[in-house]
Amino acid sequence: MASYILRRVLATIPVMAFVAFFVFSLLFVAPGDPAALIAGDQATPEDIERVRLRLGLDRPFLTQFADWVWRLLHGDLGSSIFTNTSVSEMIGQRIEPTLSLMALTLLLAIAVAVPLGVVAAWKAGRWMDRTVMIIAVFGFSIPGFVVGYAFAYVFALELDWLPVQGYTPLSHGVWPWLRNLILPATSLGLVYIALIARITRATMLETLQQDYVRTGRAKGLGQIRILFVHALKNASVPIVTVIGIGIALLIGGAVVTESVFAIPGVGRLTVDAILRRDFPVIQGVVLLFSFAYVLINLAIDIFYTLLDPRIRY
Amino acid sequence: MSALVNTARGETVAVERATRGRAARAWRLARAYPTATVGAILLALLVAVAIFAPFLGTTDPAALMPARRARVPSAANWFGTDLLGRDLYSRVIYGTRVSLMVGFSVAFIATAIGLLIGLTAGFIRAVDNTVMRAMDGLMSIPSILLAVALMALTRGSVGNVIIAITIAEIPRVSRLARSVTLSLREQPFIDAAVSIGARTPTIMFKHVLPNTLAPLMVQATYICASAMIIEAILSFIGAGTPPNIPSWGNIMSEGRALWQVKPYIILFPAAFLSLAVLAVNLLGDGLRDALDPKMARNL
Repeated sequence: MASYILRRVLATIPVMAFVAFFVFSLLFVAPGDPAALIAGDQATPEDIERVRLRLGLDRPFLTQFADWVWRLLHGDLGSSIFTNTSVSEMIGQRIEPTLSLMALTLLLAIAVAVPLGVVAAWKAGRWMDRTVMIIAVFGFSIPGFVVGYAFAYVFALELDWLPVQGYTPLSHGVWPWLRNLILPATSLGLVYIALIARITRATMLETLQQDYVRTGRAKGLGQIRILFVHALKNASVPIVTVIGIGIALLIGGAVVTESVFAIPGVGRLTVDAILRRDFPVIQGVVLLFSFAYVLINLAIDIFYTLLDPRIRY
Repeated sequence: MSALVNTARGETVAVERATRGRAARAWRLARAYPTATVGAILLALLVAVAIFAPFLGTTDPAALMPARRARVPSAANWFGTDLLGRDLYSRVIYGTRVSLMVGFSVAFIATAIGLLIGLTAGFIRAVDNTVMRAMDGLMSIPSILLAVALMALTRGSVGNVIIAITIAEIPRVSRLARSVTLSLREQPFIDAAVSIGARTPTIMFKHVLPNTLAPLMVQATYICASAMIIEAILSFIGAGTPPNIPSWGNIMSEGRALWQVKPYIILFPAAFLSLAVLAVNLLGDGLRDALDPKMARNL
């Protein structure tokens, strides 16, 4: 097992190296002069020269890349062109709302989608199954930010149950924090719920055909016990895989959801950076989220060996 | 079959029956795959809306009417007007063009390139080791962020949006194409082709490629749906099509400031976007049911 984990960890290094190289070279494969791109449309030739010197864009490509990786390994993601603050510091200040939103969405989605998928598989072909599947199709089709506006209009503006926008830090109490996040997490989670419910149903359908399920029934186990203890446990590997892969949806969706609900997180930072063409900030955000995504999926792969002792690579 | 029997009875009857037979066959197919049918009809309607946009009672989507700013829906402006007094109905109808163009182009280009990469990787080990590792790397960048990063470096234009989303979608297609290719290579008919001396390019393009099309077509519909959503998101956050082009994302983005008092500015483009994505998704689900009955039972 230890050797498997070690091999798995080592295998992510080339992937992360490629991501770093790709994100770095974006600036150079884009058509046009990188310095002019960063300086923006209204820049004078002097501005462009200044940007070139400040970012060291006049040096050879590989020198720049080596230098960039070196600073990256020391936790330095560069600094914003506009405010000159370090990108890691900017992300650090904005990470709490984003992490809160994503964690809450993740919990909510799993708590809702897995039981829905299990019930749909149990009642396959019946009205409950059909309802879940129809909800899933709509979950895939209605973009999260559209749902966000609809929820905000109904539950915040019309019914006045929850705040329309904004964010309260966790340090101000759990309930104020939660109140602000319920609507964003629900709207962001819908597509994720659809995804997890579908894969749960599909895997459970297969698992419920297994002999040990029949054995369980024969020896008189309760339906709930068979579904949630015996079958779900054996169906868990594909479900957990999809939960891991789906985190990409959460990361992408968080950017827009934060804009809709005016949450001052990394997504808003990204949107502001786009509007100002602050490329180092965008670069830092993309890199950080991609690394996080790779590491989460690495953790899930390792988690399998604990979840399912049959897996021995 | 029934057409053949009818031919024996006489030509006129045969033709008549054959057409009726075709209609009956279409009806049977529609009954067998209701999701695909509903999706196809919805999508056809939207395509018609896109093509005939100028004839659907629209005015110039960019025409400003400063005297009629932010009006609620009325007989003159069916969906109301936006902050600059532009007719929202016209803008939303013309927006169908942008969304469908982005969706279809990305689906087509990403599938074509991804198929080529996957097919080559499935046959040439050196390509498999290098290119597919690169694809793994690309896949670990969440596609919206990748598209955002690419758009941050170029001028906003429909063409650039298509390129950015295509790059983000290619890895998924190549993975699927590669795995389908690998499993096809184990099939007896490929062994047969090898044994009669068919060369690798012939096997790749004449024998393997046609068999990868069914699963890729299903995936192409999902890519089309996701491309339409990503385009709307990019435009919504200001990294997509330029603001002067009436795309659904742009209209929603312009409606953001006033959404609490004038929610209809966001509602109409949002409804069209959801409908378009739903149509494509239904078509994809239906195609999957029709082309892969084994998987369809489960998902």
